[in-house]
Amino acid sequence: MGTLTSTLSIALSALTSEKGAMDATANNVANVNTPGYSRIRPVLAENDPVVLAPLTFGTGVSLAKLESLRDPILQLRIGQEMQSQGELGAFVTAMQQVEVNFQSSSGDLGTKITQFFNSLNQLSTDPVDLSLRQAVLTAAQNLASGFRNTSANLIGQRSNLDLNVVQDVQQVNTLTGQIAQLNGQITNLENLQQDATTFIDKRDVLIQQLSSLVDVASIKSSNGLTLTTSNGTALVAGEQNFLLSTQADPSGVQHVFANGADLTAKLSSGALAGTIAVRDRNIPGLLSQLDSLAAGLVTAVNSVHHAGFDLNGNRGGDFFNTPPAGGQGAAAAITLAITDSRLVAASSDGSPGSNGNILQLAALHDQPLVAGQTANRFYGSMVFTAGSDVANGSSDLDASQLILQKLQDQRGSVSGVSLDEEAANMILFQRAYDASARIVQTVSEMLDTVIQMGAS
Amino acid sequence: MSSIRVNPNPLSDLLSALAEVQQQVNTAAEQLASGRRINRPSDDPAGAALVGEILDQSSRVDSFHQSGGTILGQLQIADSTLSSVVTALQRAIALGVQGANGTLSDTNRQAVREELGGIQQQLISLANTSYQGRFIFAGTANTQPYVADSTLTSGVRYDGNNASNQVQIGEQYLSQVNLPGSQLFSSPSADVFQAITDLTNALTANSGIDTAVAKVRSTFDFVTSQRVFYGNAISQIQAQQTSLNNEKVSLSSQENAVAGADPAKVISSLVQDQTARQATLQAIGRVPQYSLFDFLK
Repeated sequence: MGTLTSTLSIALSALTSEKGAMDATANNVANVNTPGYSRIRPVLAENDPVVLAPLTFGTGVSLAKLESLRDPILQLRIGQEMQSQGELGAFVTAMQQVEVNFQSSSGDLGTKITQFFNSLNQLSTDPVDLSLRQAVLTAAQNLASGFRNTSANLIGQRSNLDLNVVQDVQQVNTLTGQIAQLNGQITNLENLQQDATTFIDKRDVLIQQLSSLVDVASIKSSNGLTLTTSNGTALVAGEQNFLLSTQADPSGVQHVFANGADLTAKLSSGALAGTIAVRDRNIPGLLSQLDSLAAGLVTAVNSVHHAGFDLNGNRGGDFFNTPPAGGQGAAAAITLAITDSRLVAASSDGSPGSNGNILQLAALHDQPLVAGQTANRFYGSMVFTAGSDVANGSSDLDASQLILQKLQDQRGSVSGVSLDEEAANMILFQRAYDASARIVQTVSEMLDTVIQMGAS
Repeated sequence: MSSIRVNPNPLSDLLSALAEVQQQVNTAAEQLASGRRINRPSDDPAGAALVGEILDQSSRVDSFHQSGGTILGQLQIADSTLSSVVTALQRAIALGVQGANGTLSDTNRQAVREELGGIQQQLISLANTSYQGRFIFAGTANTQPYVADSTLTSGVRYDGNNASNQVQIGEQYLSQVNLPGSQLFSSPSADVFQAITDLTNALTANSGIDTAVAKVRSTFDFVTSQRVFYGNAISQIQAQQTSLNNEKVSLSSQENAVAGADPAKVISSLVQDQTARQATLQAIGRVPQYSLFDFLK
């Protein structure tokens, strides 16, 4: 049509739309440093035209929507990488503490084994010397306490990890609760055809946090987002979250339960899985090796000791107390059976000055005592195990960090706020706004002219 | 016209690069401070296990060296004791030869007999020599080996045993460290004390002196031949001590090759890391400074 008011309304639509677009820019700039924020882009659309045959008039512009720029697939990949990073991070942190037990130093278990055998070697030079005999008992005490301390440290570290599991589970429950709540808000808004991007951004951040703790798979359904662990245990369905719980098994180790089912061994990534792996696999593995070493050493030393004679001419008894049957807990239980150094069975024939049996005991240093290996070499393999667990975990963690960094980069390239872009947009929107305002002014002058026309 | 949109916020990239460089700087600093490349098993798991084995060996070498030193002292005492025994037996032979001379007066023969008695006491005392509180010719018995016993023809009883000890002074290297008195001084074929007693008796009876002297001479030969054992043992242990010293040096250089840090290499990588760190810091300082907003009037 051709009325001045319609021109005015076109200009007005432009003013409103450009101001709305400017709001989007302002919001982007405001959130330039907000983690998880996805930039929004104003989508301007032409209004439906009015047809007055043979002419078609435009009716201005409207702000169709504020589009949030996000890539759900990328978000998914980030979530997955967060899971493996969470797992590796927890694994490496835990194993680094374990590894300290096997650090080569003057006080490590390997040195104590060597020193025990060395003390026997010294005693062989003068088997009746009570101070050398006492030195053997002291070295054996050190060895026994070395075993007990290492075992106690490992067990202590395992129970600290147990605490971590409980805390992680609480954290998971908090997060799933928040996600369920956001799910409800998002669904409500979407049902009302309203923009839920703010909440979706928040939910994405929470899902990432959750991903660093457990393996999360998400399914989008009509009633919002469903989150499960990768083995299918529901964590969040729509507005409802399903709590995980922890419960100690008979040996005092905390297991993770969901709805009565034991998930402990089924968690495949996330910090919880990393922590549980160290707690249930790596530490028990090292503990059982430590027990085998202690049991192997004790059994061999005792058996040779029985064959000898002490300084009083009596048959040798136990040198160490017998390890528990099956060897489990041998390292924690290892103690000396004799306190009187005269009872060290050094002699092979009953004469006090004989050192035959001490030679036999000292020779155990070179004999296969545990799994076909000498005590020292077996200990060396434990050092290797602990070290390579950390080394492999660390290099996997580095790789994962690199991947995550790339993914975050990619996410940034899609969703990140660029100030340059926003400044350019601002100029665009400002110019358009200025121009529209000028049109309003012009139309106003035109109206004035029309009114003057009637007055004259 | 359209180009690929890049991540507008490179700060987190730079920060993680910075963290990585910082990590390398820390590692290098740790290596420089400790002088070691392997500071924990994860630095080189196989190397750490190997270092454990080398340290075990090295500590064993120390122990063998110490044992060798202890028994060396004992062997040297035994050797010098036997040397005194040999001297005493030489004197006894000389006295016997003197006594066999028919022109010797009864008084002089009496004096010779008395001196022989003294030699017998000296021999008993030598055979009872102890080292660090232990009788070195008692076999493996922990008792004074020779005591006077008038019920026996030699007048001396052996309370020790016939066993001997070995001591390990190297990997797979056992060295015998003593001979029992029963083998050295009172073996049935060459009993030192019996020979001296027989000589004394022959002088008293003034007959069979030559036979008795011959017997002392044969014990002299026997003890002299037994001394070879100690001489050999001493030189073997001394050679072994030298080789243990060499082994210790070689083990320590092996350990250093596996676990030691190469200072030149560490320092040059430290310098590189520091340069990288500085560059990254500068980049961080510049990146967020300007945007289009700065140029709008």
